[in-house]
Amino acid sequence: MSERNDNGLYDICITVNDREIRGKIKAETSLLDFLRENNFTEVKRGCDKGDCGACTVIKDGRAILSCITLALQADGSRVYTVKSLGSWDKMHPLQQAFVDYEALQCGFCTPGMLMSAKALLDSNPKPTREEIREAISGNLCRCTGYQKIVDAIEAVAKGEYR
Amino acid sequence: MKNKYSVIGTRIAGLDEKDKVLGNVVFAEDFTLPGLIYGKVFRSTKASARIKALDVSKARSLPGVVCVLTAEDVPNNESVKNVVGQTTEVGLLEAKHQVLARQRVRYWGEAIALVAAESLDVARDALKLIEVEYEELPAVFDPLEAMKPDAPKIHGNNNVIASWKLRKGDVEEGFARAEVIVENTYRTPRQEHAHIEPESGVAWVDDMGVINVRYAAQVIEHYRDIATVLGVPESRVRVIGTLIGGGFGGKEDVTVEVFLALMAWKTGRPVKLTFTREEMGYARHKRHPYVLKYKTGATKDGKLVALEARIVSDAGAYVYLSPWVLIYSTVHSTGPYLIPNVKVDADSVLTNNIMTSAFRGFGGMQVVAAYEAQMDDLAAELGMDPIELRARNFLKKGDVTASYQEITSEVWLEKCARAAVDALGPKSKGGKTRKVGRGLACAWQSYGRMTYLHDTSNCWVNLEMDGSAVVRTGIPDLGGGQRESVRAIAAEVLGLNVDEIHVISTDSQVTPLSGTVTATRALYMSGNAAKLASENVKRIITDKAAEILGVAADKLDLKNHRVVVADDPKTSIPLVDAIKQCHFEGKIPQSLATFRAPFTEPISSDVIKDPVFPDFTFGAQAAEVEVDVETGEVKVLKWATAYDIGQAINVNRVEGQMEGGVAQGLGFGLMEDYLEVDGVPWTWNFHDYIIPTSKDVPDIKSIVLESGTGKGPFGAKGIGEPAISAAGPAAANAVKDAIGVRITHLPITAERIFFALRDKSDRQV
Amino acid sequence: MGKFTFFRPTALAELLDFKAREGGKARILDGGSNVLVYINEGSIAGGALVDVKSLEAIKGIEIRDGLLEIGAGELIADIMNSDLIRKKMPFLREVLQKFANPLVRNMATLAGNIADSSPIGDTIPPLLVLEAEVVAASAREQRVIPLEEFFTAPGKNVLKDDEVILKVRFPLPEKGRGGHIKLGLRRGTSCSVASVAVWLVADKNKVRDIRIALGGVAPTPIRARKTESPFKGQSLDWDKITELSETVMEEVRPITDVRGSAEYRKQVSAGLLAKAVRQALGMEE
Repeated sequence: MSERNDNGLYDICITVNDREIRGKIKAETSLLDFLRENNFTEVKRGCDKGDCGACTVIKDGRAILSCITLALQADGSRVYTVKSLGSWDKMHPLQQAFVDYEALQCGFCTPGMLMSAKALLDSNPKPTREEIREAISGNLCRCTGYQKIVDAIEAVAKGEYR
Repeated sequence: MKNKYSVIGTRIAGLDEKDKVLGNVVFAEDFTLPGLIYGKVFRSTKASARIKALDVSKARSLPGVVCVLTAEDVPNNESVKNVVGQTTEVGLLEAKHQVLARQRVRYWGEAIALVAAESLDVARDALKLIEVEYEELPAVFDPLEAMKPDAPKIHGNNNVIASWKLRKGDVEEGFARAEVIVENTYRTPRQEHAHIEPESGVAWVDDMGVINVRYAAQVIEHYRDIATVLGVPESRVRVIGTLIGGGFGGKEDVTVEVFLALMAWKTGRPVKLTFTREEMGYARHKRHPYVLKYKTGATKDGKLVALEARIVSDAGAYVYLSPWVLIYSTVHSTGPYLIPNVKVDADSVLTNNIMTSAFRGFGGMQVVAAYEAQMDDLAAELGMDPIELRARNFLKKGDVTASYQEITSEVWLEKCARAAVDALGPKSKGGKTRKVGRGLACAWQSYGRMTYLHDTSNCWVNLEMDGSAVVRTGIPDLGGGQRESVRAIAAEVLGLNVDEIHVISTDSQVTPLSGTVTATRALYMSGNAAKLASENVKRIITDKAAEILGVAADKLDLKNHRVVVADDPKTSIPLVDAIKQCHFEGKIPQSLATFRAPFTEPISSDVIKDPVFPDFTFGAQAAEVEVDVETGEVKVLKWATAYDIGQAINVNRVEGQMEGGVAQGLGFGLMEDYLEVDGVPWTWNFHDYIIPTSKDVPDIKSIVLESGTGKGPFGAKGIGEPAISAAGPAAANAVKDAIGVRITHLPITAERIFFALRDKSDRQV
Repeated sequence: MGKFTFFRPTALAELLDFKAREGGKARILDGGSNVLVYINEGSIAGGALVDVKSLEAIKGIEIRDGLLEIGAGELIADIMNSDLIRKKMPFLREVLQKFANPLVRNMATLAGNIADSSPIGDTIPPLLVLEAEVVAASAREQRVIPLEEFFTAPGKNVLKDDEVILKVRFPLPEKGRGGHIKLGLRRGTSCSVASVAVWLVADKNKVRDIRIALGGVAPTPIRARKTESPFKGQSLDWDKITELSETVMEEVRPITDVRGSAEYRKQVSAGLLAKAVRQALGMEE
């Protein structure tokens, strides 16, 4: 349990992309703030109210909205951002599919969108298009009309990237 | 049509996309510098008031606050022009904007002061310590009221800040001949851009005293506006544009850059400013809401004979680009149809509502809601097929429009309309409470800026010693793949792979200025500039290779890293050999090229009788919807969108624009409305301003047609804005088909449908 | 931003003692979703933020003495996916499937939705027709509050400052089927304009018992008992349902807000009720 130190700050330790990240933070710091202040700027801030999904990360196996999660609620948790999926030389199938199918344009919603997609395929490897749309319904995209995003996720689900 | 190119016209996976999916891109808010301080804006909570007293002393003395700036601290507070881009204003209007409100605020949310502090928390606390005393002034919120002579004046003596007209033939005579007349008044919503990335940036003064602003900019030429406000030479301001997380016109007018530059310049510290989602709601401009009164007449055989229209737009509290938006509306008001008698009167009127300015479609979009509803209702009155009626009236290449502009590219509207309708497939069944309907909308939208602005675009291409290439272009990229397009074009011309071309872009002091990413001009202008520069480089190479090979230069081509004889590809030399020889002789394979759009004279009167645009893109969209007659809810079942884009550079990207346009246009038609009540915002974040989610947009069929007759590179036409305009009207026509009642007030919400069904007519709610 | 503290109790007694000391200044996070929103807005200026995720005492989905009990700490996603709910209460699963979106379902709880006490809390009308109860605890006592008596005004309920919700429970119905219709402004995540839930016990379309609840049409979610009476004993067909549903218009007291007018909410509630009843009867739309 977190003890408050003399400065009114709390010790925190979250394992982000398999690395332990420690800090001393205010109680009301959001998980999004904590991640971005620790250079995980790939996690985006779109609205700070949980309405757009740009801040989506996977915490203890679930896709969640980091802007309305207190960082201290994630103390001791394992959190994964889009950077955990792949690298330039070895992209995750979802990342490669997004590129091949042009499932992004400006790319701002993409980190969150990919995490929702990953969480979907982790729990439901063969979703229908309707299930895909449901799974990403908390991630707003203003550029693509969602068409190619659904196409890309479906392609991975169908085994195009094995 | 078989693709005759090696690179363009295919589905290209871009390099920028890779960086984006990996999470590598440093967007505006992701950037930081040592010693960064944080800016916040103090804003008005009155729609119309005089500032009686403003006291920032308590805020200034809060520990951690580095500066608090008011209008007094701005060297040229009233100099920001309404017109943006690389030319100065041309034509009728002079608009007065203020960087920070000095004596008067004209809309809820207007900026009054700037705060910069060591942390965001301190900056927020400082805002609460600013004390302001208002004296409320009379206000007006309805543009029709604001036109009346005794209405409170927003600026100067007249709230009507722009008027444009179309006059052709004799509408009295036309209507006398008409055998069917349809008359309706339409209303379109105040739409919010709702790009997912907020406006954001960082500014600092570098070691050479240059004020740098790194921000999400659709127009890097705003460095000139910054210089003017600060009273420094333009050469001392540098704008570095980031990859933008969505723009749609929302990052076109001045956003954070002037505020940032002021704070950085005054404090000497690097400053970051990001608007909250709420601020994006109540402090950023919107799409102009319009009232459109249309009267359209046709003969029994379906020939249009007359159009009379009265159009009024709400310009909000400051002029910005309202006059230009109105020009677009006026020119496009007839729809893509040849009408012998036309009388259109359009006005843009100031109110104390939120400012309205650029938004994808730029005035060409609102009129579609009127003219495509009119065409649909005419077809119903005449008992004619909707495509057939339109086909009898479509403009053709060679026709002259009601604004006296000749159409110089192909018009494939009938092809597009039939393709879109066919792509819907068999009609869905519906049920006892669910009525299915289908709707079609055809539209035209210009691409390229208005030609009296004398648009130019620059690009610098050079070949490296090893045959790779660098393209330097100022063009910003807001997600539409502007950078990838120039990469693909250079690759095509130079015979290289796309991943051998590095594009460096969007830096006002390092890359040649290519102009704005607005007005669907990026491919047309920066693409043509890149093509020109690449062709110049190619000529340097082929001239040298011609000497080496002993053939005429015009017989040579660049293919797969070699200079080949086009008719005899076995005869070739490696590209690198030609490059080496060029360098040796001092003929460096590089080119800085300028592409010029057609230059015309300014519009000479308020009756538009001059060509205004380089060209138009034509297309159609078809929608199938299901309406629940017990609640009024609309479910969008199917969608097809078909456009002639001349020549695709990247097929993926073209489809992406079309599909994105469907979603954003569907929102305009069915659910989006930025509401204010007496100037006070009601729908200022994603909670209350709703945009389509993945469950609101159906599977979309995109049909890309290529007539090859565009003015862009390789015969391309622009698609960015054309992609959106027809969407809302297609949904509106589908709803009409489903329930038999025309709803003229967009967005067509469930409540509007519910009451329309009960009243059997349109209740204005 | 004010002065906030953080507390994560590991045992129920710890939580209750803390609540006894801090009262209303201690806010349970649960999924946390709304509390941070209120903090960012500035409507909560300070206090203790309490994370109850380690508390076993508020976990669990089980049947006890004929009551289906759901711990206050159970995430909506987990409730939906639990075998027990799938088998024994598929109606609740269908209701929760429409709740917000998957991200929010991974964070929110039933108890949180109830404690928020919004007139449009989507889980509440279905729980009302299931005649749910809230089990609340404080350091002083444990008490059972019928959900129908829980709400007093928009955002307000009868919980005392030192009380927390332990669980939500309802008698597992032996007979009957549920219907639930939510009217939103779009298909995706949407605040309800209005919603209707129905629990119907019918024998070949003859009504033995019916319970009706609505959200978004009054200061709190309501159980529409006056509307229920005319249904009882009736043989229902499409037209009869439509006719009887219209009486609900007299029982609602909606307002006009950014999502819709009072008149719309009033009139559409009849159609929503008719739909919910037809759904419960399995009638084709």
